[in-house]
Amino acid sequence: MKRLYKSIVPALLSFVIYVVYTGSLRLYDIVTGVLVSVVVGVLTSNLLIEDWRKSLSLRRFASLVRFALRYFFIDEVKSHLLLIRLSLSPKLDLRPAIVKMPIKTRNDYGITLVSLAITNTPGTVVVDLNKEKGNIYVHWIYAKTTSPEESYKEVSEVFDKYALKIFD
Amino acid sequence: MLRDLVFASLLVIIILALTYLTYSGGLGDLPPRDVRVIASNYLNLTYNQGITWLWAASPEAVTAIVWDYRGLDTLFETVVFYGAILAALTLFRSVSKVPEFVSSAGLSLVVKRVTAIVTLAILAVAASTALHGHLTPGGGFQGGAIASVAPLLLLVVFGKQFFIERRISYSKLLTIRNASLALLGFTSVALLILGFLTGFQAYIFQNQAKTVSTLSYPPYLLDVPLGGSLFFFNLFEFLAVASGFTLVFTILLSRDETLRKELEGEELGY
Repeated sequence: MKRLYKSIVPALLSFVIYVVYTGSLRLYDIVTGVLVSVVVGVLTSNLLIEDWRKSLSLRRFASLVRFALRYFFIDEVKSHLLLIRLSLSPKLDLRPAIVKMPIKTRNDYGITLVSLAITNTPGTVVVDLNKEKGNIYVHWIYAKTTSPEESYKEVSEVFDKYALKIFD
Repeated sequence: MLRDLVFASLLVIIILALTYLTYSGGLGDLPPRDVRVIASNYLNLTYNQGITWLWAASPEAVTAIVWDYRGLDTLFETVVFYGAILAALTLFRSVSKVPEFVSSAGLSLVVKRVTAIVTLAILAVAASTALHGHLTPGGGFQGGAIASVAPLLLLVVFGKQFFIERRISYSKLLTIRNASLALLGFTSVALLILGFLTGFQAYIFQNQAKTVSTLSYPPYLLDVPLGGSLFFFNLFEFLAVASGFTLVFTILLSRDETLRKELEGEELGY
């Protein structure tokens, strides 16, 4: 029974991917899509989901959508603009450094979200992480500070707050 | 610098010479610009609702050719593929049966979480490719090849331990593969058996009804053309290929010492 609850979100995700990849919504696509997503959902449920209650929470899903919108339209744009300014400035004023930042989320998905969000924005790359101590090590092309707390506020706090809301 | 220039001009001369040769027909006849007779026959018949005694009930001409018009050929191709995997399994027969208890931590947790999500996507895409083989480009083999990337990723990212913990064993995979190959064979003779039982005439590899034989796989399912046996061939080929590749991956990703044990005694000549 628990496995069935766990399979709901993977099955829904798999159905969406199936229909988008197929590119049509005939009855045949929907029927085979439902059958395939049930099988794929059950197969991958233990791999993907730890706590099914969390996976079915609409509040968490809403935070994920809010995060996606904010990330792609605000954070990405901001850091792209910063990097354009850096690379177009004639004296190429760089201050590269690898900075340690403590993050609060301890969930695997949360850490993944924070690391990928930081890496995907231009100018910052997560090079290593330590789950037990909750530290990530970020290569920063224009390090405004090297103190862990301040750089946490500067780079990862936004993502960390959302990761806590979505996954923890 | 001079060497580079000479090399570059030589390359250009060779390419130009080959182009000239090809276009002037020096390397064999040029392909005709119009559609050849055999191709136009296939294109005209595959999904021709007016000539249903010659059609394959599938708008995908390639799948119709591969699994209907020259289905016997494809069955033997599948047998060759089956034989190749069988040879690989025989070569490492003792490795395959003993579950290996290696403790590997796998890759970092970011890679693990992303792989988990990607695995789901790969399986959904593979299933769509296989189940739409009679409608759009793709098919059983392609779908199976896509699906087998998922276990390969899991083996590398989570370690072999992952499969052992989830009891995805050698014999289970082998059973899936053998069963799907048996069903593949059964699909090709199902109408023949039905013909024997009911007293009608039927052929090996018959898909749709012919003028002398009224037995037929269903041409439509729900609101799309089904292609009759093409759907079943694609489905079973998908399962056979996915499980066959997975079997080989699990063996090839064994530890070096285990694999080397197979070759012990080679220097003594037995």
